[in-house]
Amino acid sequence: MSFVIDRIFGTISAVGAYAIGGVRAALELWMVFVGTIAGIWRMYGRRGARRPAGALVEQMHIIGNRSLLFIVVTIGFIGMVMIYQACLQFSRAVGDLSQVGVQFLRLIVSDLGPTLTAMMLSTRVGAGIAAEIGSMKVTEQVDALRMSGVLPVDYLLVPRFLASIVMTLGLSILGCAIMYGAGGLTAWLSFEVNPRVFFDVSMVRPRHLILGLMKALAYGAAIPIVSGFCGLRARGSSEGVGWATTAAVVGSSFAVISIDFLLSVGALWLLGGDL
Amino acid sequence: MLGENAITNIGSRAVAVSRELGGITILFAQILRALVPPRLDTRELVKNLHKMGNRSVPIVALTAFFTGGLMVVQAAPFVQRLQATSLAGWAAGYAVLREVGPILIALMFSGRVGANNTAELGTMTVTEQLDGLRALAIDPIRYLIVPRVVSMMVMLVCLTVIGDLIALLGAMLVAKAVLDIEFGIMYASFVENLAPEDFLHGVYKSLAFGLSIAVTSCYFGVTVRGGAVGVGRAVNAAVVAAAVSVMLLDFFLTYLNV
Amino acid sequence: MIELRDVGVRFGARAVLEGVTLTVPRGARVGIIGPAASGKSVLVKLIAGLVAPTSGRLVIDGADVTGMSEERLAPVRARIGMLFQNYALYDFLTVEGNVGFPLVRRGEAADVVAQRVRDRLRAVGLAGSEAKMPSQLSGGMKKRVGIARATIAAPELVLYDEPTAGLDPVTTSKMYDLLRADHDRSGATAIAVSSDVAALVTFVDTVVFVYQGRAHYQGPAKTVADAPDPVVRQFVRGALDGPLVG
Repeated sequence: MSFVIDRIFGTISAVGAYAIGGVRAALELWMVFVGTIAGIWRMYGRRGARRPAGALVEQMHIIGNRSLLFIVVTIGFIGMVMIYQACLQFSRAVGDLSQVGVQFLRLIVSDLGPTLTAMMLSTRVGAGIAAEIGSMKVTEQVDALRMSGVLPVDYLLVPRFLASIVMTLGLSILGCAIMYGAGGLTAWLSFEVNPRVFFDVSMVRPRHLILGLMKALAYGAAIPIVSGFCGLRARGSSEGVGWATTAAVVGSSFAVISIDFLLSVGALWLLGGDL
Repeated sequence: MLGENAITNIGSRAVAVSRELGGITILFAQILRALVPPRLDTRELVKNLHKMGNRSVPIVALTAFFTGGLMVVQAAPFVQRLQATSLAGWAAGYAVLREVGPILIALMFSGRVGANNTAELGTMTVTEQLDGLRALAIDPIRYLIVPRVVSMMVMLVCLTVIGDLIALLGAMLVAKAVLDIEFGIMYASFVENLAPEDFLHGVYKSLAFGLSIAVTSCYFGVTVRGGAVGVGRAVNAAVVAAAVSVMLLDFFLTYLNV
Repeated sequence: MIELRDVGVRFGARAVLEGVTLTVPRGARVGIIGPAASGKSVLVKLIAGLVAPTSGRLVIDGADVTGMSEERLAPVRARIGMLFQNYALYDFLTVEGNVGFPLVRRGEAADVVAQRVRDRLRAVGLAGSEAKMPSQLSGGMKKRVGIARATIAAPELVLYDEPTAGLDPVTTSKMYDLLRADHDRSGATAIAVSSDVAALVTFVDTVVFVYQGRAHYQGPAKTVADAPDPVVRQFVRGALDGPLVG
C-alpha cells in the first residue's frame, strides 16, 4: 500500500518538478526575448551604436538563401499530398471539385503556408543557430566576447533574430505560392480539375492575409529566440552542443505548433467563427 | 561569371547530396545484413526503447493534442456555414489519421529522438568510442546501430498510435470549447466516417518514417568529423535529411496506398 | 589591486569554492595550482567576472564589483585581458580579426588597429599570419594568438587559464619567455593557472595552492617544492603517498 502511495507522490512531484522547470525555462526564454529587443534598440536605435559589419546580411543569406531549395522541395511535396487527399475526399463527399482550389487557397494563406514553412525552417534554421551558438559557448568564445565588453545577445542573437523575421516572412509567402502551384498541378494531372477553376482567389479576404502574416512574423521571431536560448545554455563539449541542437529543434517546432494553435483559436473566437 | 558560380554551386551541392545518399544506402544495407541472423543485444534494445519512447510521450502528446484542435479550427468555417456538425469529426479525423498525425509526430520524433541519437553517436565517434568497440572485435553496427534503428521504428509507430488517439481527443475538446459541438456528436462522427484503413494507412507511413529517420540519424552520427562543431553540423544535417525524407515518403505512400 | 574576501561559489548544492581570501597587489605575478577539479579555473573566471560568487566579495582597485551586471562591468573588463584554456578564438574571424577585436570594439581607427595587431603578432612570434583562420593554426600558435588578443589593449591585469597545457617542453619554455618579456615591459599584474608547476614557477613570484575548494596555501614560488605544508609538497613533487586526497 505504501508502495502505491510512494509511486503516486513520486509521480506528482515529478510532474510538479516538470511544471516548475517549464515555468522557469519559459521565464528565461522571455528574458532572452526582452534582451534581444533591447539589443535591437542598443544596436540600431541609438546614434554611434557599433554593429558587427555585414552580420545581418550574412545571416539573411544563411537563413534565407540556403533554405530555399529545402523549402521548395518539402513544401512542394506536401502541397501535392494535401490536394490529393482533399480532392479524394471532396469527390467522395460532394462530387464537385470546383471549390477545392478556392478553399485550399484560403487554408494555405491563413494557416498551412506559414505554418508548414515554419515547421521546416525550425528544423533547419533552429538546428543551425543552436549548433553555431552552442559550439561557440562550449569553446568559451561566448566568454571571450563578454571579456571584450560585448553582450552575447547583441552580437549573436540580434542579427539572427532580424534576419529570421525577414526571411521567414519571405519564405512563407514563397511557400504559399509553391503549395498552391503544386496543388493545382496535382489537381489538374490526377483529377482533371481545370486550372482556371482551381486558381481562384475570390474567397481570400484581408483577414486571412493578416492572420497568415501575423503567424509568419511570430514564427520568425520564435525560432531564433528558442534556438539561440538553447545554444547559449550549452554546457560541456560535443554532447552539450548535441543536446542544445536537439532541444532547439524540438522547442522551435513546438513553439510553431503552439503559436499556430493560439493564433488560430484566437482569430476564430475574435471573428465569431467566420474565418 | 555569376552563371559559372551558380552552376558550380549547384554541381557541388548535387555531388554532396549524392554522396550522402550513397552513404545512407550503404548503411541501410549493412543494417539489413546485420539482421539476417537476428541476434540483438537485448540490453541495448531495451535501453533504447525506454529512452526513445517513454521520454518522448509528453511532447508527442502535447503536439498531437494541438494538432487535433487545429484541424477542428480549420474545419470550423465550413461547419458553421453548412451547419453540418458531423463534418467536423470527419474532416478532423481523416486529416489526422492519414496525413497530419503521422507527419507532425514524425517531425517531432525526428527532432527529439533523431537529433538526440545523432548527437550521441556523433559524440561517440568524436571521442573514438566506435574505434574502441572495433578494437574489442565488437561490430558497432550490430551492437549500437541496429538496436537503435529497431527501437526508433517501433517507438514511432507506438507514438503515432498514441498521438492519433490524443489528437482525436483534442479535436473533441476543441470542438466543444470553440464550436459547441457535443462530445457524443464528434464521437459518432468519428465512428461513422473513419475506417480502419485510414488508421492503418497512417501506421504504415509511420513505419516508413521511422525507418528513414533512424537510418539518416545514425548515418550522420557516425560520419561526424571535427569535434563539437562537427556534432552540431551533423545534427543539423540529420534533421534536415529526415524532414525531406518524411515529405518524400509521404508523397509516395499517399499515391500508393489508396 | 585584486581582493577576494571570503569568496564562495556554489553550483546548486555543490560548493566549488569556499572561503577564499586572497590579495593580489599591483604588478604581482601569482600562480594558481592545485589538483584537477579543485576550483582553479572557476577562481580565474570569477576574477574576470564571468562567474558571480554566491558569497563573499570581490574588490578590484578599491571598487566592489561583486555581482555587477555585464554593462557595469564593461569599464572594469576593459582593463583586464584573458587567455582561455581552449584559446576561445573566434572561428569566423581571421587572426587579424581576432587579435584586433578588443580594439575594434572600443572604436579605434582601422589603421591604428592594424598597426597594433602587426606589432603584437610580431611580439608573439607570429608575424605575417594576419590572414590565416584559426582552424589553420597549431595549438601553440593558437595560444599565442590568444595571448596577442588578450594583451593588445594594454591591460593592467592579465589572466592566463592553462597557458601551456598540451604544449611540448620547448614551446612551454618559449611561452613563459614571452610572458616574462611582456610583463617586464608592461608591468601588468599576472594571474596564471597551470598544472605544469615546474614551468609556472619560472614566471610567477607567488603561488596559491587551491585544494578542495579552498585557498589552502600561499607562498613564494621559488621554494614551493619545500613548502611547510605536506599536502603542497606532495602535490608539487608528484609523490604518490602522502596526505593528498583526490
